Amino acid sequence: MKTNHLSPWEQEEYVLNQRTPEMLRHLTECAGCRAAVARLEHGVAIFRSAAVEWSSECLATRPPQRHASVAKGFPVLTLRWAVAAVLPVLLLIFALVSFHPSSTRPVQPASDISDDALLEQVDQQLSVDVPSSMESLTNLVPTENRNGSVGATTSAPASKHIVQTN
Amino acid sequence: MEAVEQFIYAGELTPLRDRMIAELADVNTLCATYRSRIYRYALLSLRDPDLAETVTQDCFLRAYKAREDFRGDCSVATWLTRIATNLIRDSTRSRKFQFWKAASSTADEVGAMADRLRSPGLSPETFLMIREELRGVWDAVENLPGKQRSVFLLRFVEEMELPEIATAMGLHVGTVKSHLHRALAAVRKAMERTR
Repeated sequence: MKTNHLSPWEQEEYVLNQRTPEMLRHLTECAGCRAAVARLEHGVAIFRSAAVEWSSECLATRPPQRHASVAKGFPVLTLRWAVAAVLPVLLLIFALVSFHPSSTRPVQPASDISDDALLEQVDQQLSVDVPSSMESLTNLVPTENRNGSVGATTSAPASKHIVQTN
Repeated sequence: MEAVEQFIYAGELTPLRDRMIAELADVNTLCATYRSRIYRYALLSLRDPDLAETVTQDCFLRAYKAREDFRGDCSVATWLTRIATNLIRDSTRSRKFQFWKAASSTADEVGAMADRLRSPGLSPETFLMIREELRGVWDAVENLPGKQRSVFLLRFVEEMELPEIATAMGLHVGTVKSHLHRALAAVRKAMERTR
């Protein structure tokens, strides 16, 4: 019969469920070894409880995993390769269209045309002694209109003012 | 003769293997069944909830992709554990620069975990004692070498049998037992220091 206390190795064997009848017999008789084994088991047990609790809490705060893409066999990788293959082709086509010689021929800018037309319009309006909208007023002052010098000096600023406000 | 034995062995395994591959193909059910277990193992190994989540997802993805390679010579849980073990090892190697972060947060983790163990029947003295014991064990497990820590977690948290652990870790049963003894010795020393 075993009379010595359980060695640390034997205590660990007990905790690992590798128990022999001798071990069990000794533990029923020896309070010291029983306490040592219980202490080791207690240490492992509180670690397990805390670890399981912590893991459960961490897991509870996380959204559930979604594996729909995997489950349906969605070809994500294939799609990526397709995009990678098509993108350079599209860029090449865009580059060819953008820098084609026919598209780079000199074209008179639209702003030039509009500027010319605007200047022409201004000239036409300045060349008119009395604007059409003020023709009715000239009928009210026939004496001034008949005097050419006076009519010319007064009508010019008036027409300028009208052009500016228009 | 050996070829015939292999043929018979493979023939016996085929129906079981097919069932297991079917189980692996149903990713949603697979996750629902094993997610908490794999996540817990990864979390306790890495002590980082985000990294543990990444490892868990990678584990299921790898298992799904490699399901045809599954030989069926162990349970699905053991196979997943083996994949997770490899991923954890890779993660641990690549995140050594983050060690300071894990080390600095240990005290908070232990305090928070000890609070979870508090029950109304515990006296403040008993609670403090448990808290100190937990701190000792927690630190001891964290400081174990990688394989010892994995073996310890699989045995005492996941409650796997030694042959299962040996399969999951790719070790002999004797080696697993040796790692467990060393891990328990470290835990015992840590608990003695907290006395």
